[in-house]
Amino acid sequence: MGQLLIPVLVGVTSMAAYLVGAKGLRLSHGCIHKAVRRMLDCLGVTLIFLGVNLGTAVIVILAARVLTREFLSLYLVADETLLVLSLIQALIFQGWRDLSGPNVSRP
Amino acid sequence: MGALGRPRRMVWADLCPLLGGVGLALFLVSAFTPLSNLLSRPMGGPSALEPAEAIVVLGGGVMPNGVLSNSSMRRALHGILLHRKGLAPLLVFFGPVRDSGPAEAEVRAELARALGVAPRVILAAAEPRTTREEALRGSVLLQAKGVQRILLVTDAYHMRRARTAFEQAGFEVLAAPTHDLSSGVFRPGERLALMRRVVEERLARLYYGLAGYL
Repeated sequence: MGQLLIPVLVGVTSMAAYLVGAKGLRLSHGCIHKAVRRMLDCLGVTLIFLGVNLGTAVIVILAARVLTREFLSLYLVADETLLVLSLIQALIFQGWRDLSGPNVSRP
Repeated sequence: MGALGRPRRMVWADLCPLLGGVGLALFLVSAFTPLSNLLSRPMGGPSALEPAEAIVVLGGGVMPNGVLSNSSMRRALHGILLHRKGLAPLLVFFGPVRDSGPAEAEVRAELARALGVAPRVILAAAEPRTTREEALRGSVLLQAKGVQRILLVTDAYHMRRARTAFEQAGFEVLAAPTHDLSSGVFRPGERLALMRRVVEERLARLYYGLAGYL
């Protein structure tokens, strides 16, 4: 039962948000799938940033081991901070694309 | 640019949502299904708690103020308990200094002495920084004393790689993992943490394989 708490909680608050949006704010029902696609788009960009950040970090650490006497652990890159920073990078990048007009690549 | 740019834009426009969808699906499957438990089970293997010539406790991390990480403390206590059960006469602690402060190996040796282990049976080695270095240093320290058969203490998901490294260093290894992965974890956060450990360990094995260490 405890395992269902979080999915049920998120389901209920999502339904509440839908009702507030549809009834209270009169948001377009047809735009929901576009919003989901935009969320997936942003998540994809986040994963690209995360992959690039991780790959770069591994190269830097291995290069530092070879070129200097400094030992840096590869576990240093396994830090949650990198995921959050990658998300921030993606949000800024996506915002930049949005604000740069319709001629740039957009889903 | 127009002719070449259009397909490139379409690829980008489709790639990101697809990647995001795959990432979201992996997140949901990792957090809300037993996938991480299933993937972690083959990594540990059973304990082989039999008499040996030394108990070797691998490093797990220490904070600059000398407080052992959870993993390090769990491994150290498991090694001390095995020694107190009389499974081996020698107790070897690994663990380097992290950034600054005391060496993890010394903190653990002090803990063992405080818990009644005789100082003469404790060896502390703070130089090795990786599993492979621990295996190589262990062979120098222990094979000079004629030790061949060891009880290896580390986390269950780390055991496979560590065991191979120590076997390649010339030891007969008896696995003594600190916990049993067969019971699994059930909360979403715990499952994600376990999945992260599984992925880290698989990447570490890949790295060891590419580097020719395994």
